[in-house]
Amino acid sequence: MKVNCEYGGGCDLLFGTKQETYELPSSSTAWTVGELLLWLAEKHLKTTQENFLQGDSVRPGILVMINEMDWELLDTTNYVLKENDTVIFFSTLHGG
Amino acid sequence: MCSIGNELENGSEKYMPHIDKTQVDKQKCNKCKEATPCILLRGKDSYCKPCFLLNTNHKFKLLLGKSKLIRPRDKVLVTYEIGHPSTALLHLIRDGLNLNTPKKLTFDPVFVFVDDQYHLSLSERKDVISNILTEAAHHEFKIKFLSFVDWVLYNRIILSDNSDYIKADDGDKIVSLFTKKMNETNRKEFFNIEKKNALIAVAKQLECKFIFKPDISVDVASNLLINISLGKGSQISMDTGFCDDRDDSVKVLSPLRLFDMKELAFYNLLNKLNPVAIRQIKVDPYSSAQNLLKKFVTELQEGYPATVTTVVKTGDKLVSDIKVLGKCKFCKGPVFKNSELNSEESTHFSKLVSTYLPDRDMSKQDRFDDIKKTFESTVYMTPQHCYSCSKISEYLLDDGSD
Repeated sequence: MKVNCEYGGGCDLLFGTKQETYELPSSSTAWTVGELLLWLAEKHLKTTQENFLQGDSVRPGILVMINEMDWELLDTTNYVLKENDTVIFFSTLHGG
Repeated sequence: MCSIGNELENGSEKYMPHIDKTQVDKQKCNKCKEATPCILLRGKDSYCKPCFLLNTNHKFKLLLGKSKLIRPRDKVLVTYEIGHPSTALLHLIRDGLNLNTPKKLTFDPVFVFVDDQYHLSLSERKDVISNILTEAAHHEFKIKFLSFVDWVLYNRIILSDNSDYIKADDGDKIVSLFTKKMNETNRKEFFNIEKKNALIAVAKQLECKFIFKPDISVDVASNLLINISLGKGSQISMDTGFCDDRDDSVKVLSPLRLFDMKELAFYNLLNKLNPVAIRQIKVDPYSSAQNLLKKFVTELQEGYPATVTTVVKTGDKLVSDIKVLGKCKFCKGPVFKNSELNSEESTHFSKLVSTYLPDRDMSKQDRFDDIKKTFESTVYMTPQHCYSCSKISEYLLDDGSD
């Protein structure tokens, strides 16, 4: 399954890219955003996990939008990903 | 027998009810009641994109308009800081200036960035300045840069249009400023006040009557608690209110004080604005009172979305009614005097009595009168600094003025 990820507001510094399309490994169960977070942190994060994750969700201060919709309206980490979904990670922590 | 309150005795009902986020109406926008919402604010209010953008613009102009302080063609110094609030502020101002309706903004903005990013390398600092210039140009604004180290060390205001002012040893100069060991809380407080003083000085040089600072609600709430913890409770209404009028000719306004970070970050995201980002530095939340209180407010806000609003609204009701003796030489805040001794003066008296060598030839009453006179001659002089600044006054450079 393909998923488009976009990184902004400083999240691009964490992943070394502003946009990337990933081919997720096939799985017997459907991929949730929560699982995507862990997979991204393990495979593509360029810094330590604590800069991106807290527990099984994103670190407070990182906002997530799925297909132009706040993920809080979509049950956050439990949202089941569909083919070609666009997930945007936007940091509010990289100011000064 | 009355049974009101009995329910408090059985278990969970004594706690604040938990809002189940899955119960929030996600089908319809809170405002237009028609469109599908795209953002959830405060854990309960959902808005569609057009209503959210309209609301954000309206809220910004409402706060400015309600104050009735700014007149047409007044020059306003807008403080730029790296992050979402300033990016949103640039867009909100440009949007307001471009309007053709009576709600058009009519002031003349001047953007200034006080560069104090000394934790970054030389090339990173130059990149940041270049990115800020690009962002300002995107909104058809010009921005000027002030070297913070030049201001702190030499009280010098040299405004630059590019990154030429950046020197490799700026960071070392700031470190060498303090010959004595200064704790992180006092250091932060010192820099905060110096930054504000620098902006007021720039505003005067550029003939601006107002300064916009991009503080958002969480900054206001944590500043309020920081003020209390630093013994600056009397300055709360100035430091955390909409208008700080402690300077006679320049008023400092906080036009974003009712916005939260999520609101402004989504405003930027939906307007396809990507703010300038800098490398994050690891902040130890326990290294200063400021860091700790910011962490406290932010974390409480995560669980209880009304936290910041409650603190801000409570702060809005706080004013001081104590007689003002004068202005603090450093922060320009009021210096107060109570009719009774305050805790600081009592400690001072106690120290004086225990270290004073009495003249044994004098009678008991004369000795008492003598020490009382000595105490009064010191404590009843108008202090030059407010209580909080007196804690950092030994580090301040004397500018020779009274």
